Amino acid sequence: MHPHLETLLEIQDLKTQRRELATAGLDREVQESVFGLSVDDALAQIDQKVTEMEATLPAPVRGRLQRMQAKHPRVVVPVIRGTCYGCFVQVPTALASDADRNEEVRTCQSCGRFLYLID
Amino acid sequence: MELREFFTEDGIKLDLQGSSKDEILKELIGLLGLDDKSQGILFKMLKRRENLGSTGIGKGIAIPHCRSLVVNRLRVAFGRKAEPIEYRAIDDQPVQYFFLIVAPPLEVSNQYLPVLGKIAGFVKEPDVPGRLAGVQSPREFLALLEEKGA
Repeated sequence: MHPHLETLLEIQDLKTQRRELATAGLDREVQESVFGLSVDDALAQIDQKVTEMEATLPAPVRGRLQRMQAKHPRVVVPVIRGTCYGCFVQVPTALASDADRNEEVRTCQSCGRFLYLID
Repeated sequence: MELREFFTEDGIKLDLQGSSKDEILKELIGLLGLDDKSQGILFKMLKRRENLGSTGIGKGIAIPHCRSLVVNRLRVAFGRKAEPIEYRAIDDQPVQYFFLIVAPPLEVSNQYLPVLGKIAGFVKEPDVPGRLAGVQSPREFLALLEEKGA
């Protein structure tokens, strides 16, 4: 897997975690009541980690990430059975079946999100 | 929805070998059958969750969990360690039973949080820790889940 794609995946996973924690609902309730988590502290830690990780990305990738983040909550999305799970448009067959899966940082031609190929 | 639906015998290991939190997490992740790179990403994500606050909920039980893009459906695993390990659980007691839950960021059926809640409820039943200690095979573990109607 391309190291920048790996970083992007990790950033996206952290942002997913942050979104769930920040939203009043079952996850926040479970995290506080079952695990005794301090949500405010957790959010601050996640924010710091995301900032650090974003700083490690090259400028073009970071720029696209920030532009896309302004538009979409999910910027890195899986491709499952040939479909971009951001916009649900079929990606080109050559991309979906690439033997060097995830060895490059690729984006969806339709929505511009970063793509992660998964079986 | 019942917990039994989510566990398979392949995802249950009653003789975990690891002797540290990291080793146990890696062993649990190994039960999911992911490729090496995905396992590495998942490990980092679970560690980050642990760094926010331990998922050891007391009475020798931990529920490491996270959402990650490296899985395309909800995955769970269970592991038991003969000798409890230090896990920084909320009751400061070592941990012996581990329930791993990993879900993709988006799920059509949105099962992640209900499963997390169900496992938390299951392990809080007073007799469950003792029953988990006596389980002899993955099949018995599955039978316990069914018996409890979890």
